[in-house]
Amino acid sequence: MARQEVLGKKPLSILEKIRENLERLNEKMEVMIELQKHGKKDIQMLPAEAPLDVMTLLSMPDHLRKTAMTVCRLGRATAEEVAQQTKRARAVESAYLNQLVIMGHVKKERKGRKAYFYVDRDTQG
Amino acid sequence: MILARIIAVHSYKGGTGKTLLSLNLAATFVKRGKKVCLMDLDFRAPSLSTILKIDKAECWLNDYLNGTCEIDKVLIDLSDRFHDKDKFFVGLANPTTEAIRNMSAKDRKWEMRALGRLLALRNSLLEAKGFDYLVLDTSPGLQYSSINAIVTADLVIVATTCDRSDVDGTKRMLRELYDLFEKKTEVVLNKVLHDFSSKSGRDEVQSRIKDVYQVPLLGIIPCFCDISKAEGNAIFTQERPDHSFAKILDELANKIDNSLV
Repeated sequence: MARQEVLGKKPLSILEKIRENLERLNEKMEVMIELQKHGKKDIQMLPAEAPLDVMTLLSMPDHLRKTAMTVCRLGRATAEEVAQQTKRARAVESAYLNQLVIMGHVKKERKGRKAYFYVDRDTQG
Repeated sequence: MILARIIAVHSYKGGTGKTLLSLNLAATFVKRGKKVCLMDLDFRAPSLSTILKIDKAECWLNDYLNGTCEIDKVLIDLSDRFHDKDKFFVGLANPTTEAIRNMSAKDRKWEMRALGRLLALRNSLLEAKGFDYLVLDTSPGLQYSSINAIVTADLVIVATTCDRSDVDGTKRMLRELYDLFEKKTEVVLNKVLHDFSSKSGRDEVQSRIKDVYQVPLLGIIPCFCDISKAEGNAIFTQERPDHSFAKILDELANKIDNSLV
């Protein structure tokens, strides 16, 4: 019985790993789709840390500003939590959040299966 | 439903009556039984400390935004001026020349942190300390501190006059600032010289304002010589509760209160 449980856990953890990797791959694809959609014009690659101040918010395209402002307000949030506020789809917010990460305005941290996005006000500067 | 609990009072030009409006609106809320905190975010030309005759503070709002103190150290309890308790608090901007110079030399990273600290007030004041309203008096135009306040606010009240350049500038700001941040914005037309004695006179001004700005009109305040005569020496609505100005402010506060229902 105990041997069966051990054997059963291994495939489960492999499946978990595959799911995590698929989710990460999905996030990357979402970013690539967004880059295609906006012809890269909105997404300038910035240094690893670019302050998310109000003037930066003002100069952003509307769709990213909404997401960035929501992260500012929430402090730290998942794509799901941001989507609840903006009333847009989770996948859309996930793509926008990952764009903001690429642009250096937002940081991303994984905790288990969840990805948290936040504005790093403490270390920037 | 948008909760109008953090109110920023802003304008395109200086001298439109932002501070007069902020202070008296806060005072009117207190008279209506609300717990209110009024903050002077006009770091370039602080004036609340003079009007309220406070020349020393344990800490200024400048210190809070610098991250060198918590908000409790900044707040000054002035409830006794309303013969009340735990109702009216102010946070003041440091009026010294050195502090004004320091604040105007801050960089983008500092401004980003300042925005974070302003946003944190929703939890530390509204939620944890039970304030009903936080009223933010701002600098005119597109200053960092003002835009930080606008981003923080639930409702932006734009104080404007009939001055041509003010009208044009306010129109631009409505389109290029408040709209971009998707802020609930309402206009207060101040220092109006039109005829208010008749209903048709009032209606004419109201419809003209709605046409020009395309946002709701919160109220119209005529040009009152009595306010100029008071020389910014006191809280006008408290000194003169029966004055027309006090009645207009009560109507404004009532409209804002009702937007919470």
